[in-house]
Amino acid sequence: MIQTGITGIDEMLGSGIPRGTRVLFSMEPGVDGRLFMISTLNNALSRNHRCLVIIPTSTARVFRSEILTLKKVDIDDYKDKLVVLDSSVRDSLHKKCPVPAERVNEWKSLIRETCEKNLIDIIFVYFDLIYEDLGLEEGFRMLDITIGDRKPTVVLEHLNLEGDDLLTRFSADLAFDLIISLKSSFTPAPYFNFFTLEYTSWSNMPRRSIPYIIINNTISLYIPKIIVTGPPASGKTTFVNQASDRGISGDRKDLKGAATTVAMDLGWLHFKGFDITIYGTPGQPRFDPILPQLASHAMGVVMVIDVTRPEQMARVRTLMELAKVNLIPMVIAANKCDLPHDFSENEIRDSLHLKADVPIHFISALRRSDVRLVVESLVHCITTYPF
Amino acid sequence: MYTYKTGIALIDDVTGGLGPGMNILILAPPLSGADTLGACIARPGTGEYSIIISTEERSIDMANRFSAENLNRNHIGIIDAITKMSSPEASDSVHVKFVASPSDLTGIGIKFSQIVESIFNGEFEVSADVDLFPPPIRFYINSLSTLLMYRKLEVLYQFLHVLGAKLKKMEGFGVYILNNESFDEKTVAVMKQLMNVVIEVKVESDGHYLRIRGLSGVSGDWYKFRIENGEVVIGK
Repeated sequence: MIQTGITGIDEMLGSGIPRGTRVLFSMEPGVDGRLFMISTLNNALSRNHRCLVIIPTSTARVFRSEILTLKKVDIDDYKDKLVVLDSSVRDSLHKKCPVPAERVNEWKSLIRETCEKNLIDIIFVYFDLIYEDLGLEEGFRMLDITIGDRKPTVVLEHLNLEGDDLLTRFSADLAFDLIISLKSSFTPAPYFNFFTLEYTSWSNMPRRSIPYIIINNTISLYIPKIIVTGPPASGKTTFVNQASDRGISGDRKDLKGAATTVAMDLGWLHFKGFDITIYGTPGQPRFDPILPQLASHAMGVVMVIDVTRPEQMARVRTLMELAKVNLIPMVIAANKCDLPHDFSENEIRDSLHLKADVPIHFISALRRSDVRLVVESLVHCITTYPF
Repeated sequence: MYTYKTGIALIDDVTGGLGPGMNILILAPPLSGADTLGACIARPGTGEYSIIISTEERSIDMANRFSAENLNRNHIGIIDAITKMSSPEASDSVHVKFVASPSDLTGIGIKFSQIVESIFNGEFEVSADVDLFPPPIRFYINSLSTLLMYRKLEVLYQFLHVLGAKLKKMEGFGVYILNNESFDEKTVAVMKQLMNVVIEVKVESDGHYLRIRGLSGVSGDWYKFRIENGEVVIGK
């Protein structure tokens, strides 16, 4: 296995990319996605893989400078494990072989010799100029290398100017074992980038898209909104507080002096490679009109229920409708399980008419570890949910 | 609707300025001063910003020229596609980004988005008296001729088509220079498909001339022009 070095993605891929496979990072113009390839290369070098980089758009010195800037890694320190075929190689092959068919054979010979001589495990290719020079089929043919009885893993970054048609073609032709497309939302302000796991040959993972942000040249998967809702006094604010690295509470005292959420609680956390924003809703019925707005564009819902108060289940069903949980993943946090109760998982499932794949976790929101377990469960649901 | 003044009275007096999402192509022979004309059209007005892709002039030379012309450098972002070929260690700043070479369309696209994001995030200077949303952005490529030396016509067309769609969404305005003597008619015709307005430039013994194509109500005659202090002056 090799890893991308991007925590959430490697976990979604089942701890990484199998050896000998073909990987495509397809980038829409303007999307800041170079770190996907660079992070994978950096990770491979750090794990002592022997790598070949083919980068026809740049000199090796510029490439070194870029890696140094982005990852603080000097590829000159890996001279025994890394070979770079840069723009000067492309230029000399163009001079030597003006006819593309001959050039493909020259490229192929050069790549094979380099792989054999340097015992290369992984070939990283910046593909779009090769695609332009040689076309798709010939470009693939020059990379179809077998050394002894094994094929090196091939990782391509491609500037996709043809959009989804090209991705459909790649998927239909089974040209790759893993296709990750990188796109951006641009309406009209640059909003966020997102990647889509389009296809994997080694698992039945559903196609899914996750936004990502880049902080200090590191990719963090981004869940812009998780809703925490539930009946009054079920423990939502405590849940948000325990889940968050930092946050704002909307609790105010009511006429009897008890704290209740009047607008929303807001929390942020960085968790297992994901940056997540959590919105805690008010539980009082008088705030129901704002709940659909709060739930709008949410990627998942944590429904907090109080296991000591089964009579609140009708209210929970109302909240499930308001939050439109039939369209997005939901996890049940069965809170206050440290208090005496006799509400079982089956009773909760029957009462709320839940599908078998909706997780129910018995927790105490006072325990951070319990709360984090629920968040982890919801993140897993989000990354495997066929939106 | 926001309108962009071109600084060319022939256009501005009739149209009041060009609308967002419009693209101007300057078709000009070599040594005709087209880059100076392009720079005039692309210079940011009050409250505006400019993003320049330079394949001809190093960003440091460009910045020095801006200072000499009293241009507000704090409202200009440059994507420099040539410096790294001689100075690989050149590093990015908020206002100046470098790509490996003019063939690096991936890098050009990324740096374009980074500068746009910086402008939207308020990392560029914001005019105290004019705060518009979306911030008006002029996008200037000097020149398409160099990009066509490095990439095939159909690839560059597709790239500009996607970038142009983003520019339109953010209500920007594009200015592009193409040397019409170095490329065949097909190439010029394909590039024109991406444009709304074409300004043709020619040099005669008595000076420089321009004519405007593609704008109804604007004369298509040749007019003599000169650049004075960064302003386009139309003469007889």
